[in-house]
Amino acid sequence: MTTASNLTSASDYFSAQTLTLLNSLSEQLHKIPGSGIFLRYVKSSYQNDPIRSAVELFLVLFAIRYLLAREYSTKPGKVRLTEEEIDDLIDEWQPEPLVTKTTPFEDADLEKRAIIVGPTGPKSRLANGRTVTNLASYNFYNLVSNEQLKERAIQTLRTYGVGPCGPPGFYGTQDVHMKIEADIAAFLGTTACIIYAQAFSTASSVIPAFSKRGDIIVADKAVNYSIRKGLQISRSQVRWFEHGDMADLERVLSRMQKEQAAKKQLTRRFIVTEGLFENTGDMVDLPKIIELKLKYKFRLLLDETWSFGVLGRTGRGVTEHQHVDAAEVDMIIGSMAGPLSAAGGFCAGSDEVVEHQRLSAAAYTFSAALPAMSAVTASETLMMLQTQPDMIAALRENVRAMWQQLDPRSDWIVCTSAVENPIMMLVFKQEVIASKRLGLEDQLGLLQEIVDECLAQGVLVTRAKALSAAASGAKSDVYTHRPALKVCMTNGLSRKEVEKAGTTIRHAITKIMTRKR
Amino acid sequence: MTSHTVLHRTISFTADAKLAPPSDSTMSSGKTGRRRRSSSIIYQEPPETVEQISDQAVNPNLNSQWVNAKGGHGSCTESGQGKAWLTIFYDIIPGMTQEISWTLVNITYMTGSYLMFHWVRGVPFEFNAGAYDHLNMWEQIDNGDQYTPAKKFLLTVPIVLFLLSTHYTHYDLTYFIINFLALMAVVIPKLPFAHRMRFAPFSGAPPDE
Repeated sequence: MTTASNLTSASDYFSAQTLTLLNSLSEQLHKIPGSGIFLRYVKSSYQNDPIRSAVELFLVLFAIRYLLAREYSTKPGKVRLTEEEIDDLIDEWQPEPLVTKTTPFEDADLEKRAIIVGPTGPKSRLANGRTVTNLASYNFYNLVSNEQLKERAIQTLRTYGVGPCGPPGFYGTQDVHMKIEADIAAFLGTTACIIYAQAFSTASSVIPAFSKRGDIIVADKAVNYSIRKGLQISRSQVRWFEHGDMADLERVLSRMQKEQAAKKQLTRRFIVTEGLFENTGDMVDLPKIIELKLKYKFRLLLDETWSFGVLGRTGRGVTEHQHVDAAEVDMIIGSMAGPLSAAGGFCAGSDEVVEHQRLSAAAYTFSAALPAMSAVTASETLMMLQTQPDMIAALRENVRAMWQQLDPRSDWIVCTSAVENPIMMLVFKQEVIASKRLGLEDQLGLLQEIVDECLAQGVLVTRAKALSAAASGAKSDVYTHRPALKVCMTNGLSRKEVEKAGTTIRHAITKIMTRKR
Repeated sequence: MTSHTVLHRTISFTADAKLAPPSDSTMSSGKTGRRRRSSSIIYQEPPETVEQISDQAVNPNLNSQWVNAKGGHGSCTESGQGKAWLTIFYDIIPGMTQEISWTLVNITYMTGSYLMFHWVRGVPFEFNAGAYDHLNMWEQIDNGDQYTPAKKFLLTVPIVLFLLSTHYTHYDLTYFIINFLALMAVVIPKLPFAHRMRFAPFSGAPPDE
């Protein structure tokens, strides 16, 4: 009895409380100015239409709920931390070393590395006092010891000073730059040319100037690091084709064409390849690529870093060597730092191609211009190439002599370079790798021993060194570099010296390979 | 007291909001890779690659930043002034009754704001190599955060405009339906569940990568 009466009295108490609460609330509401008008309007808006009023009421409530909602981020992985957590993290943070620890292989490499004292040349003097035949420097026409070039360079230095003091677009262009641009364009047979201050950054700057996100690039798998960086920066879709395989290239091109037709897209499309490949030394099949490019409507970007000044009767590059009109190639990238022994790079093409780069190429607008000395040296060297064709013939003779000593006379190695390429890449034969079961590490070790043995016998050669795919930022390993020995021919050596050096290398290889382990 | 330092971690947390994103299968922005529903008529925009994120971080997104600006260039003035000018313009035309005028204001505003916020993708300037080409302006505002002050304002504006238009059209059914459909077309894409959601008949097949 008491519980029932307690309950009723409790419920009476609560209802009385709520009534007084509501009364006080409505009093407060009526005190707000304009509340009467507002309440009257809401009452009159009912208009005998319950559904519409319900919809409007729902909208108002939805708006209020949205306004009161708390902000949050849709980006994955965002965490909000308390002050203590931040302090803890700061306390336990250890900086990564700037330079990782070297492997024992790299340590040994560094110890035995030869240091050249004084200028490089066909015969270089090392820090330990010995004089060796230098087949490791890029000195194809022996221009480093050319007195006439040195005089010209010193004269230019006295006239123009050292640096151009600015990017080419901002008071850094001098008359010598315009002269070398005109010289290269006339030499190659294109309409115009643009100069870059560094040969390595030329390809990485030209590619993103033309190819953007959404465009398509079909590239050879063995292209060099500079081109890979350019492809990565451009954010374009890259499709790879097997190195030197024209059938695979055609397959990729036709597949891209079909994909684009299916999506009704029309973007810029490029084929990127090299004249003489830096990693393998062999040559591109340019007429076939031109035929495919015209058939599938792609543009061709040819990197002639190592073929300009080397191939062709007068050194015009792979276009002259394979009898292709230079105007058929949309962009020819080249280097004045290798065969021309000057500095910098260039890109030659039509007027529109070159003019576009004057504003949109990163390495042209945001980097200092080429020093006048290097531009003048490049002009002089270009003149020498045209007036002294026996320079090129002498180099080819030396390359042929070296080939005779090494391939096919050696049982262990084979040369993958083209026969006109002064950079000879010597790799182990497939049967040798199979019979001795040599992994990549073993090959690198053997090559390093061969280099050391050659140095002991007075010939300086080197291994081909490359960054791993991970270092270059590539997501996957598209191409693995084959371990190779790199021999850079020069025409500063007589035929006898070349033959002697070749014999030394061959005997060193045989000695290392037949050594009992 | 939580500070506002944010730390990116490999484990993804969502901030404990009262209205956290619904955990059904349509919200996959926290997962890597693209999730395809069996029909692929409605699909989620895939998350950005590392290169795209770094391209987006290079410069502030001028296209979407102005909505937060104070004074004469933020979303408050733009929509307020825009609507004021629209009402004046439509009222001036002779022979225009109040109902039609307000309905036209409503529809013009909804169409214009839909085109600007939800239809057009990317940014009209060239400063980030196309890093935002796949997002419309609503998704770019505040870097994809939901319930930010700018977004709250921009969602209440159409609702207020709708309520005004129902008042001025004297609650007529036909006008109500027209205005309500216009409102739905503008409010639904702004809700959090529609973030990065693409409708294949309108925006093409999902990208395959």
